[in-house]
Amino acid sequence: MRKPASILAVLILTGATAASSVSTFGAGNTERYLHVRVQDSKDGGESVAVNVPLSIAEKVLPTVNKGKLQGGMVHIDNAEMNDIDFKALIEAIRTAPDNEFVSVKQKDEDVRVAKSNGNIIIHVIQKDKDAEKVDVTVPMKVVDALFANAKNNEVDVAAALHALSDAGDSLLVTVESATEHVKIWVDSNGNPAQ
Amino acid sequence: MVLLGKIALGMFGTVAAAAGLICSEGFIEVNVVTKQPNEQHHIVVIAPAMLVPIAAHFIPPDKLDHGARELKQYMPTVRAALEGLDEADDVTLVDVTEPGEHVLVKKEGGSVTVNVVDKDETVYVSTPIRAIESTVEQIANASDHAKNTDSVDFQ
Repeated sequence: MRKPASILAVLILTGATAASSVSTFGAGNTERYLHVRVQDSKDGGESVAVNVPLSIAEKVLPTVNKGKLQGGMVHIDNAEMNDIDFKALIEAIRTAPDNEFVSVKQKDEDVRVAKSNGNIIIHVIQKDKDAEKVDVTVPMKVVDALFANAKNNEVDVAAALHALSDAGDSLLVTVESATEHVKIWVDSNGNPAQ
Repeated sequence: MVLLGKIALGMFGTVAAAAGLICSEGFIEVNVVTKQPNEQHHIVVIAPAMLVPIAAHFIPPDKLDHGARELKQYMPTVRAALEGLDEADDVTLVDVTEPGEHVLVKKEGGSVTVNVVDKDETVYVSTPIRAIESTVEQIANASDHAKNTDSVDFQ
């Protein structure tokens, strides 16, 4: 009678260990990271990579109460809002079909703002000697979260981070100039290649 | 003979328990390799991490007072960051490469590791997150100790 009991105990222990390993592995897969890469291609230039687990950023942000950042909300002065109703503006963009909203072509700069596949896209091309190209892609869910529960003169950065961690892998910002490359993106890979 | 055995067992148990307690927060590892043209030095220090908050306890509170007051206001943020880091998967937090120098800050297991490699030396430091937390708490609490010491009315 003791032998089957021992076997049963071993089986239960093995099962429990396997179950905890599986849940740990599963939890590892759900972690998402905000990656920032800055590469200076000048002679002697440096390369910087920062990888922040979004779960940490989500925990830390609400605890910061400094200046305009209070409890995950960024306060914007009324003067800076220029009487623009951002909530109404975002709602209008959200319900609008994919479209190019702004297109400015100047001698030294082109700017384009559009909505495409659930993202707000901003392209800026500078044609001066720096010849810089900036692409910003923000998932609409993140833009929504910025304003959904915020007062009129606030943006909810904590909610935006949460929305970002729920969104799929996304390339948020790229800046390319003759000497510098900047890339900011979100994915589930904690140790991407430099 | 039996009594001696019991005493020895008791002493061994006490030593084992003390060793277990001291090692409970893991170990701090410092590994420095200097590459001089003529000679090479290799320094390795491995110490129980629990000694750091204990050592911090013996720093006179007035020496830490200013820093402690500054630190205290950021403690909720520091606590959240360390707690998040402790729970996070292993990750390379910062990786800086420039000609002749490479800096890596990683979260590995329950520790934060910093690895700096340049043409003259290699420095590796590994500190358990729990030890960082205890030490920072210890330093932040120093302002309370200093306040209490200030308020003692010697008559």
